Amino acid sequence: MYPYSESFRSALKCRCQRSHVSLHRRLLSSIHQQQLLLPSITPLTVPRRAVIQGQYRRPGQPKEDKFPWQKIKFDFAKGVEGIKKHFTLLKTEFFDRWVGPEGKPIIDHMLEQNRVIWEFRGPESLEGWTVSSDCEIGGQSEVYLKLGKNNNTCFLYGTLSSTPPKDGETRYSGYCTMRSKQPLASFDRKKHYDWTNFNTLFLRIRGDGRPWMINIATETYFSHQKDDIYCYFLYTRGGPYWQDVKIPFSKFFLTHRGRIQDDQHPLWLDKINTIGFTLGDKADGPFQLEIDYIGVCKDYAHTEEFAYEVYKRNPEV
Amino acid sequence: MNPYVLITLLFGLGLGTTITFTSSHWLLAWMGLEINTLAIIPLMTQHHHPRAVEATTKYFLTQATAAAMLLFASTTNAWLTGQWEIQQMTHPFPTTMIILALALKVGLAPMHSWLPEVLQGLSLTTGLILSTWQKLAPFALLLQIQPADPFILITLGLTSTLVGGWGGLNQTQLRKILAYSSIAHLGWMMLILQFSPTITLLTLITYLLMTTSTFLVFKLNKATNIATLAISWTKTPALTSLTPLILLSLGGLPPLTGFMPKWLILQELTKQDLSTLATLTALTALLSLFFYLRLSYAMALTLSPNNATGTTPWRLSSTQSNLPLALSTTTSILLLPLAPAAMALFTP
Repeated sequence: MYPYSESFRSALKCRCQRSHVSLHRRLLSSIHQQQLLLPSITPLTVPRRAVIQGQYRRPGQPKEDKFPWQKIKFDFAKGVEGIKKHFTLLKTEFFDRWVGPEGKPIIDHMLEQNRVIWEFRGPESLEGWTVSSDCEIGGQSEVYLKLGKNNNTCFLYGTLSSTPPKDGETRYSGYCTMRSKQPLASFDRKKHYDWTNFNTLFLRIRGDGRPWMINIATETYFSHQKDDIYCYFLYTRGGPYWQDVKIPFSKFFLTHRGRIQDDQHPLWLDKINTIGFTLGDKADGPFQLEIDYIGVCKDYAHTEEFAYEVYKRNPEV
Repeated sequence: MNPYVLITLLFGLGLGTTITFTSSHWLLAWMGLEINTLAIIPLMTQHHHPRAVEATTKYFLTQATAAAMLLFASTTNAWLTGQWEIQQMTHPFPTTMIILALALKVGLAPMHSWLPEVLQGLSLTTGLILSTWQKLAPFALLLQIQPADPFILITLGLTSTLVGGWGGLNQTQLRKILAYSSIAHLGWMMLILQFSPTITLLTLITYLLMTTSTFLVFKLNKATNIATLAISWTKTPALTSLTPLILLSLGGLPPLTGFMPKWLILQELTKQDLSTLATLTALTALLSLFFYLRLSYAMALTLSPNNATGTTPWRLSSTQSNLPLALSTTTSILLLPLAPAAMALFTP
């Protein structure tokens, strides 16, 4: 037994001479015995829930049953592969500069009117995309991404479920999204898309009639701007025919964490990070979206700079 | 912007530079620089775009650091030598610190990385003010300092010409190209500073004229990248034929104005027995010349196809005032024969 308990009990005995204190003594000793159980003597190799899951685990987050140092996977072969990949990228970057900006001769930059950015023609094209849904916060939607027929398109499908997760604080749920990964230069440095030569987004899609949202994320500076995304709607027409969608970049409006901002700004095209498609139309059930390609084009007839007027919020009268 | 606020800010800009020009005390000079920084901050953020705010923040942080370094160096000088005169800097440590602080203020390499990003985030007018007016006050101070170590100015100068040339090579954004051009020109100015401050002042003035005309041309064409510049022949055909001359003047080709400072600098460097440095600097000028030539090529030497379906753009008149553009274009192309007069004008 622990010496601490002896001294505690003796102290208690000295203090409590009267009979009505015996109840206190029993309660205190029971609490004390429970406290004594917690400093465990189990070996360190067995993960302890008290240590790792010190906080509440949100529904949807994976169960953590490994210590942080047990999650590291050292692999020499992967390291060598990584070195080769990064140095190859560095070499390409170095020799691309001899050709011109972004590896294309200047005449291309001057004459370019259309550029296909993402074309889904093989399994490696899907590696540039991430899918997620509300199962990350504990919801029940599912989303999958695969190549379409003849490996010619990308097929995003799944089921939407607007049942909110049972964590006591989420009221609404039911969304799925597909987002392109940030382009990276050698040694995992961030690279940006420069679409200043263009003014329209061009997509060839085949949807299921649901209203989707296109999200474009640009490079930001302050940490509170990291969820700033420019959005616009993508209304799909279901049916066997392909749909060509042209959305000028002047129509994109600024949102932060999904909420439209009062202070609107036009989308600047010189540092685009990612593009994404989101579905959150509160309609439970299966969905699918097939994308042939995503490109940008320059529409000379479109002269609008920004589609939304910003009114003074405190006009002087 | 409210016209009263705009007038106040422009007045503040003028006041700051004038205070620095007329001061002989380091504290007053520092104050003038601070007034300049603070006056231009609201001008940079007047459109409140996140990128403009980012550019303003980066500008403020670098300028505040430089001002703090300047204040520290001047107080150190006061502590070491007992006086605050700008022209009486004798101790090497504060002198070097002040040169580095002023180099950070203007954007000399290796303290240049803020300049392309900041210029990219601004509108062309504010970029013009940043590239031209904001360089005057620091140079007024640099011209009055005698550096103890000749090595530092030459290092700053040569690094700037190299960085300005190489950095601008693979850019398609015009504001970034002008930022690198600014870095390169400032490098040329620093090279000759210790041998002949007159030529530095002359280089600064010609650079200001050429940059003003370039910015005004881009503003008229509403061009911020090379592709938009390529279709400027449909908007202003006469100006499109003149702009390559302005760009080549920036590149330093005779018989245009831009050749004057480069020629005088190379001549002075050779006279000072630094022919290797002169050769290296002339070679780095080729890098800058490449991207000026590329801009001229895109603008005037190729006719980009334009699919304007409505009114041909050159029929629509612009609201931009013509006089500044006309004056600066003329001076940046035709001033070379006045080289002896210019030298006489700037010699104290």
